[in-house]
Amino acid sequence: MKQLSAIAAVVVLLAGAVWWVMQMEPAEPLEIENARMRLVPGGAPMAGYMVLRNHSDELIRLVGANSDAFGRVMIHRTVVEDGQARMEHQHGGVTIAPGEAVEFKPRDLHLMLMQPQAELEVGDTVEVALTFEGLTPAERLQAFTVVPVTAQ
Amino acid sequence: MTVGRLAIPVVVAALALLLSGCGEEPWYGKEITGLMPELEFELTDESGQSVTEAVFRGRPVAVYFGFTHCPDICPTTLARLTAAARRLPGELGEDLQLAFVSVDPGRDDPGQLARYTGAFSERMLGLTGNQRQLRSLTRRYRVTYGYEEPDESGDYEVSHSSAVFVFDARGEPRLMLLDSLSVQEMAHDLELLLAESSV
Repeated sequence: MKQLSAIAAVVVLLAGAVWWVMQMEPAEPLEIENARMRLVPGGAPMAGYMVLRNHSDELIRLVGANSDAFGRVMIHRTVVEDGQARMEHQHGGVTIAPGEAVEFKPRDLHLMLMQPQAELEVGDTVEVALTFEGLTPAERLQAFTVVPVTAQ
Repeated sequence: MTVGRLAIPVVVAALALLLSGCGEEPWYGKEITGLMPELEFELTDESGQSVTEAVFRGRPVAVYFGFTHCPDICPTTLARLTAAARRLPGELGEDLQLAFVSVDPGRDDPGQLARYTGAFSERMLGLTGNQRQLRSLTRRYRVTYGYEEPDESGDYEVSHSSAVFVFDARGEPRLMLLDSLSVQEMAHDLELLLAESSV
């Protein structure tokens, strides 16, 4: 009886350890969360936001983006200094350090999605091809959800 | 010893002043009452009509300087402002006007402005003008705007002021709401200002 419960305890511990390790080991080196774009009417550019998580041991760099739904996509950061706002083109791309996350969010990093090719609606899904360095394959298709312009 | 005895009341008085000073500042934004001239402009509205500040006469107005090819900070600030205006109690909220002044007339014609402002609020009026008209208005409120060199596709960036200027029903500038304020903070300031001016 004593032996049996000891075996049971070992089995439970082992199962727990396996589960824990599986939790730690993500399936993908790069995880993208909450990819969304804010709908702006009238053909003006829209902003795309997301969270990029680097689960690998290497630097990953987002270097470009394009989409059939837009004439042009650029990586920008909004900078506010002394009450003046301007956008900074991220010429060198955006680096995500190993184990770190980078958030594209309002008043900060964003994808500038220019020249929408068709009238979009809230709730639509739009695919954007993101190009990375330090990731294989280098290109990743990511679905962005169209959200209202008033969403934060 | 004498110095010490004198110093204590001075320190106490200074502390009291400091504490009361903190308590008396009611705004999250920056108060600009008396620091800038009253609202005055000649611009074109989103229906293509020439208008002056008289278009808002008798009603308070919150003015933002931006442009429609500004996908990040402009919609973020305008959405917060609109949400704050929607939170105002009944009559106060109905009184407040919202204005979006585009400093990019090259791309923002009246039709473009109308589609853009309509996405935020029926109460938001889109305005723009020629460079002389825009310079004259922005200079009044000590803000600037500028254009960067167009890139190979002809796209260009515009720098602009990030704050919302709030004018009371008499056209007097009262508050600058910074773009860093939350919806709650903007609503608090607007409600306080509107309640005060409706007395």
